[in-house]
Amino acid sequence: MSTNVVDRRRVNGPARSVEPVYASTETADPFAEGREDGRALDQVRPIFMKTGPLSAQESELSSSATASAASGSAFYEQGKIRVSCAVYGPRQGRKSNARMGSFDCDFRYAPFSCSWKRRSHVKAADEKEISLMLEHAIAPAIRVEAYPKACIDAFVTVIESDGRAATIAAAINCISAALADAGIEMYDSVAGCSMGLRGSQWVADCTQAEEDVSSCSALLAFMPSADEITYILQHGKSTPEQTDQAVQTCTNLCTRVYAVICRYLQSSLE
Amino acid sequence: MSSGVETVTPGRRLGLAEEYEAGSGTYTRNGMIYSSILGTKVVQKAEESKEADSQSKPTLHVERSNAKFAIPVIGSEVLCRVVRMNPRAASVAIMMVGSTPCQEDFQGVVRVQDIRATEKDLVQMINSFRPGDIIRAEVISLGDQRSYYLATTKNEHGVIFAQSAAGNTMVPISWEEMQDPKTKDTEKRKCAKTF
Repeated sequence: MSTNVVDRRRVNGPARSVEPVYASTETADPFAEGREDGRALDQVRPIFMKTGPLSAQESELSSSATASAASGSAFYEQGKIRVSCAVYGPRQGRKSNARMGSFDCDFRYAPFSCSWKRRSHVKAADEKEISLMLEHAIAPAIRVEAYPKACIDAFVTVIESDGRAATIAAAINCISAALADAGIEMYDSVAGCSMGLRGSQWVADCTQAEEDVSSCSALLAFMPSADEITYILQHGKSTPEQTDQAVQTCTNLCTRVYAVICRYLQSSLE
Repeated sequence: MSSGVETVTPGRRLGLAEEYEAGSGTYTRNGMIYSSILGTKVVQKAEESKEADSQSKPTLHVERSNAKFAIPVIGSEVLCRVVRMNPRAASVAIMMVGSTPCQEDFQGVVRVQDIRATEKDLVQMINSFRPGDIIRAEVISLGDQRSYYLATTKNEHGVIFAQSAAGNTMVPISWEEMQDPKTKDTEKRKCAKTF
């Protein structure tokens, strides 16, 4: 519990409980025999995506002005990572007197999303930081001059996470899909991909176990059609040459992820 | 007129800017037209120009069949509901722009000097609108931080639907009066010329 309130009406168990420590807890090296799930070092986890689960359905179009219906939504899976995003907009902006539209992102982990601990319902500092990261990654792709005085809101919920950098990359892809589903004008969809540094080798799309043994993780958000990188994040230590190599490899991976997202978007209209 | 059903995603190259005009759902960069939304590519043949101008190019659109939400732009016709009134201005909730609904109501304001085109100083708010009326107006300015500025100066703008004090739907009988068909009472409104 994150509060110090004691519940006196019930017979409570211990306020804090931890998993018992077993005698031989040697964490196995996830790279012992190749990667755990058999992927190549530069292979991204398989992606599944579905748009429109939270928006008004075709048959209810006449009553689509219900307050809770999102303009666009998407559900995104990458391996064990599951992320969902709802986009509302364009709607009345709350920022002061803007001639261009604004894009706001709200990111949160569901309390059950981390496999090793339960998160609190209150938004933590890292969720606020990731919200800003996603805004920086996605905002350059949106044609904000087409929406003066309006704002576009994206609400991302991580249902299950597996690798911090990989989950943020998944969130970027999910928001791109939801924005396309909402019909928001964009220069291009943004594709995100992450890598982890193990020794001197960059490994694509690390799971949580793989990320725990990496010395560095990198995240890249890329717009292939404009050939522009919108966001780079590196967490950890690496040489400049290694960072360079990560940016090159990640850009290629993003292009592949982008192709998958576009294929799903196209089939969603058919 | 469509040339086959081709689904395009944002950022897809559609054609050269020198061969096509950029229509809705597209943007131009470096002489190339790209799609800006997820939709189907539509090529509209150029209209026959009266001056026999052979320079007219076909237009590239990207269209989306399901609900696309609109935002008010200057010059667009909007459908609003009067929410609050004071002698100087009426606050309205903009519900539709043209024939496209808004995702959420936008806030607008009709100032007393923008209600009529003539005799602006003699206009009284209480004889023009009442809270709950549905009006058709035109966006004249992006306005201030909170509201768009609207005007009902044109003949076809003004109250299109209102209820009388007795609760019945009223019928316009002139440009400045509406009548309750059941009680035969008349109330003053700035009516829109709908015919």
